[in-house]
Amino acid sequence: MTKDEAGFDNIFLPREAKIIRTSRPTPSEKHFTLQLADRTSLDFVPGQILEVGVMGYGESPIGIASSPTRTDSFDIVVRTVGRVTTAINSRDVGDSLWIRGPLGHGFDMDELRGHDVLIVAGGIGLCPTRSLIQYILDRRDEFGRFTLFYGARDPLQLLFTEDRLEWRRSDAIDYHETVDRADATWTGNVGVIPTLFHKTAHISPDTRVVICGPPVMFKYVLIELDKLGIPRENIFVDLERRMKCGVGKCGHCQINDKYCCIDGPVFTFAKIWELEEAI
Amino acid sequence: MGAYFIGAHELLGWVDGLRESTRIIGPVAKRQRFVFAELESAAQLRLDYDVTILPPKKVFFPPKQQILAFDSERVSDCIDPVPTVLLGVHFYDVKGLDMTDFLMRERYEDWNYLAQREATTIVASSVQSVAPRAFWGSIGAHVRPQGHDAMLTKVSEGYVLETRTPKGERLAGLERFRHATDDEVAGAERVNAAVMDQCSQLMPYDSKEIATKVRESFGNEELWDDLAMDCFSCGSCNIVCPTCYCFDVRDSWNVDQTSGQRTRYWDACLTREFAAVTMAGGQKENFREHHASRFRHRFMRKAAYLHDKLGGPACTGCGRCAAACTANIADPVRVINTIMGVTL
Ligand code: SF4
Ligand code: SF4
Ligand code: FES
Repeated sequence: MTKDEAGFDNIFLPREAKIIRTSRPTPSEKHFTLQLADRTSLDFVPGQILEVGVMGYGESPIGIASSPTRTDSFDIVVRTVGRVTTAINSRDVGDSLWIRGPLGHGFDMDELRGHDVLIVAGGIGLCPTRSLIQYILDRRDEFGRFTLFYGARDPLQLLFTEDRLEWRRSDAIDYHETVDRADATWTGNVGVIPTLFHKTAHISPDTRVVICGPPVMFKYVLIELDKLGIPRENIFVDLERRMKCGVGKCGHCQINDKYCCIDGPVFTFAKIWELEEAI
Repeated sequence: MGAYFIGAHELLGWVDGLRESTRIIGPVAKRQRFVFAELESAAQLRLDYDVTILPPKKVFFPPKQQILAFDSERVSDCIDPVPTVLLGVHFYDVKGLDMTDFLMRERYEDWNYLAQREATTIVASSVQSVAPRAFWGSIGAHVRPQGHDAMLTKVSEGYVLETRTPKGERLAGLERFRHATDDEVAGAERVNAAVMDQCSQLMPYDSKEIATKVRESFGNEELWDDLAMDCFSCGSCNIVCPTCYCFDVRDSWNVDQTSGQRTRYWDACLTREFAAVTMAGGQKENFREHHASRFRHRFMRKAAYLHDKLGGPACTGCGRCAAACTANIADPVRVINTIMGVTL
């Protein structure tokens, strides 16, 4: 929280973050690397979000796409979907974005540590989980077998080309990717994400699973996890809601009695199961 | 703290005296109805009001509140409390403020609300006439009003002022007041107890039982479709409610096109787009698409979700929503009593 000049804590006062690098992984997405203008480092856990804004346009909740183990800067990936995200994506190196956060409840790293981990990411859902992926890779010996499933609609939508190249080569991670629809250049898997479960035989019932992607994906992934005998308490879901304040006040992100912005965005599937409005 | 007596003919002089040093907000007439407004003279004060159109929450959380100002260089906040005496708040509205006080403090403190709250002295006053749709006599009766600094009760011949805090005590200058006798204090207590039976509507259930049954009714689509029938999603029931605090945030520019402000506006969860989001995939997803699911959400919050946090219902029984709803369906008495009466 930021204090104003009169000493009042102000939950709405953003901090300035300088854009130090950008890239355009797809025509609609922009990848930013940011640094706080006061040169302090952002203290967060994977799965937490930022309210990212451009003054005069507004704010949008965005998951942090880099790991806290890589400290001097942090990444976000923003998809152009409306007025605010259009304004954010028109900024470039040297410009500033105004951020609040980290906000929300991220991944409970202690729940994952010491166990096999499977991450299932669909579409832009790879961005918030990238924070977790980097974290695990940076502290590889703290975790068991590490598997990543990633799927996108078509090859042009696949994000983080360099990362994926590295993951494919690496022994530290068992990486599988697929696209719903191939194009002429594509030689990899074709099919929705749940089909990847048939490509690897190494998912133990004790695995901790993280799911992030469009709600349509959840249902089918959960069927596969059920077959593998993975209990609901060990499945973590990263949800998306309309958010305005990010601090549990404005009411927009409510899922029954929970607030996606402070109780989430990461929930255990056991919790979600109790919430009629979750999926 | 102390108990004082002031003669009826002295009251306005006291209020005008206070007005010299501080802003006073109290109930005044507006056409056939009442509103909380800044007093231009003590004579405007209508302590005989039944209910105001909007609750006093608006003093701390206005319908439109600037929260940030920006220019090309910097962003700054706009917290700028004005010392205020808020006079003539009925006990049910004090209870409403207790709830918003708690909710605005919870987890992240919102000083855009709290700063004005702390700069304000609240003088509650006895209910002299009862609004037709009120049901504060029966709902959440175990929850007592807290956040007031003094309580003014009309008795024959004058008023008894019981101070609850040092802030309240400071208002009772002794030129116009004298110490109240034990009889006068007991008389005030009788007045405030007697009015509790005056509401024509009753919600004769324990709030915990209500919380449990309402939560259990969630999956009964037919019941909620019925209860919400004719709702046209106008959000009036939210807007007039003392315990609603949802808001939207929007930016705007000044004419120079380089500076501007970020403003929060009251929002209403009954309106169509409240929980709609443009998903990363580009498609719109409305998490409460149907009007019945929004209508249900409001009652889930009032009766069940917030009940645990607040230790009572998030409804004060003011009856404003009942009176504001053109379709005449928002009344918690109708909705809760129906739910309590059906087998789920
Ligand atoms: S319940 Fe009544 S006041 Fe509330 S949104 Fe529906 S029609 Fe409007
Ligand atoms: S729900 Fe209706 S009766 Fe209850 S506090 Fe809100 S406006 Fe008043
Ligand atoms: S975003 Fe405002 S309550 Fe969660």
